[in-house]
Amino acid sequence: MDRSQSSKLKADLPAFALALRWVRRGLGGGGKVRLYDRLGRLTLTVVALLVAAALPASAQSATAARGGLPRMWDGKPDLNGVWQALTTANFDLQDHSAGLGVPAGQGVVEGNDIPYQPWALTKKQENFRDRAKADPEEKCFLLGVPRTMYAPYPFQIIHSPGYIAVFSEYAHTTRSIFMNSEHPPGPIEWFMGDSRGRWEGDTLVVDVKYFTDQTWLDRAGNFHSEDLHVVERYTMTTPDHIQYEATLEDPKVFTRPWKISLVLYRRKERNVRVLEYECYAYAEQEQARRGELGPK
Amino acid sequence: MLTRKALVLSLATTFAWMACTIVIAQEGGGPRKTPIAGCPPVSRDFLPCAKAKAAAFKPARNPDGTPNMNGAWNPATANGSQNIEDFPGDAFLNPQITLIVDPPDGKVPYLPQWANKRQDNWDHYIDPLGTCYLTGVPRQVFAPRGIQIIQAPNVFAFVGEFAHQYRTIPTDDSPHIGDSIRLFMGDARGHWEGNTLVVDTTNLTDRTWLSISGHFHSDALHVTERFTLVDADTILYETTLTDPKVYRQPWTMAMPLVRFEKGHEVWEEPCFESDHDLPYLLREHKLWIGLNPPN
Repeated sequence: MDRSQSSKLKADLPAFALALRWVRRGLGGGGKVRLYDRLGRLTLTVVALLVAAALPASAQSATAARGGLPRMWDGKPDLNGVWQALTTANFDLQDHSAGLGVPAGQGVVEGNDIPYQPWALTKKQENFRDRAKADPEEKCFLLGVPRTMYAPYPFQIIHSPGYIAVFSEYAHTTRSIFMNSEHPPGPIEWFMGDSRGRWEGDTLVVDVKYFTDQTWLDRAGNFHSEDLHVVERYTMTTPDHIQYEATLEDPKVFTRPWKISLVLYRRKERNVRVLEYECYAYAEQEQARRGELGPK
Repeated sequence: MLTRKALVLSLATTFAWMACTIVIAQEGGGPRKTPIAGCPPVSRDFLPCAKAKAAAFKPARNPDGTPNMNGAWNPATANGSQNIEDFPGDAFLNPQITLIVDPPDGKVPYLPQWANKRQDNWDHYIDPLGTCYLTGVPRQVFAPRGIQIIQAPNVFAFVGEFAHQYRTIPTDDSPHIGDSIRLFMGDARGHWEGNTLVVDTTNLTDRTWLSISGHFHSDALHVTERFTLVDADTILYETTLTDPKVYRQPWTMAMPLVRFEKGHEVWEEPCFESDHDLPYLLREHKLWIGLNPPN
C-alpha cells in the first residue's frame, strides 16, 4: 500500500481508523522488520566488540574522565534530566520583530536563510497567513522533530545505554531513540519520525526520517514534506547545557540542506518534573461542557 | 451503523490478529492456558507460583546494581484491558479470567452506591482510550500492546505504545508533587525492596478507566505497584488500588508481563492525530470527563 492510498483509506473509513492503525502495526511487514533488525544488531554487536577489543584500556578510561561532564554507565555524557530550550524558535525559526502575542526574537537558522524552492516559499507565506487555524500546534497534534525540541515545554531525557527516550510535557509526546540500529524498511509515516542514534565521541548523533507532511517547524508556517530527513547533534558543553544542532534536508521543499543551532538548558528547580499538557483532551472536554460536541 | 461497540469489536478482532504475530497465541480466542515461566497463567494461581520462583531467581543487574528489566513487555493475560473481572465473553469483548487476586471473589469491591456504575459506563460512555486519552495508572501497564521499560540512574520509565504515553518514576527518595496538581498519569515515586521495584502513584484524576468494560475510580485513587523478575523473560506485576470514595477496601490485581521477542520495538501510534471517529462514537455514547463532571 503506498502512502497516498493509505491516507485515502484513513479519510474514507474514519470509524476504522484506529483499527487500521493496529492492523498496520500488527501485520504491516512486522516479521520482516524483526528479522532485518536482528541481523543488523548482530552485525553491529560484532563490530562494536571488535572495536572495543582493539582500543587500549588506557584510552577507554581517559574517555570516561574527560570534560568535567556527568557520565553514563558506558562512559558517554549522561543526558538524563529535565531540559528546555529558551528561544523564540517555536514562534519563528528566523529573526523576527515583535507582534501581538509574539515576542521579538533572534533566529536559530544558520545564516537566517531557509532555502525554499519557489513553490514552497509561496506555500510558507500561505501557511503564515492561515497560521491561527492551520498550525498543527493549534490542533494539539504532535509537533514533530525538531520542533518538539524547541517548543516552550520542558522535556525529560531518559538515557540508558541502548535506548534514549525523550518525553515532552506537550501532549505526552514520546520520542524513542534506538541506539546503534538501522531504520526499519520504509516508507512509514510517523509524526515524530524514526530516530536512530549513535555516538561520535561525546556527541550524540540522531538520524531521523519517515515523517508525515502534517507537522510544521514553527508558528510562522515554516514546513516540510514527508521526505524530511533530520540529523540532530547533541553535545553536552557543561553539566547543565546541551548544544543542539539539527540539519534539515528535504529535496521536495528545500534547495539544499540547512541547519539550526540552539542551546538546551537543564531545569534546576528543586523536585522539578515534566507535568502534562493534554491539549486535545482539554479542548474536547471544554466543547463537551458547552454542548458543542455532539453527533454530526 | 458505526457505534462504539462496532469499534470495540473491530479492536477485539485486531487483538486476535496481533496475538498471532506476537509470541502469545490465544487458544481458541479464550483465556491463555499455557504456563508462563512454568506457572499457571491465571492470576490467582500465577501469583503464589511466581513469588516462589522469584525468591530463588538471581536477576541480571544494571551497573548501579538494580535488577535489569530493560526491554519491551507484553501483559499477556490482560486482553488489552478489555475486562479485569471474570467475563464469559460476548459479541464485543473476549472472555477473561479475573486479574483480581484480592478480594478472593475476584471482583472490584465497589461501595454499594457505585454498584451499578460500571454497567452505566459501558452503556452510556466512551472508554477514554477510545478517545485517545491517556491510559492512567495502573492501566498503562496492561493497556493494548505493552510497554517498554527503560532504566537509568535514579529513574525508571515506561513508554506505552497505545497513544504514545509515558510515565517516569524517580527512584531517588524525592517527594510527591503538591496535592493540587492532578495528572492523568499521576505522580509516581519508586524505591527498591530487594529485587522488587515498588511504585507509589498519587495525584491522579477521575478521568481514566481501568478497562474497556467501564471499571473506574475517583480522583482519590492511590496506586501501589510491585515489579519483580520471576525469570529473565517474565515480570510478576502486582498492583493495589486504594480509593475510599469508590471502593470498600483496597484491592489487588496480579499478572505476568512477558518479554516480547528479541528486537521488538515500541513504535509511535499517533492516536488522536489520526482519529476521526469521535462524531460517530458520540451518536450513542457520551464523552467521559470524570465521575462528577463540572457543569
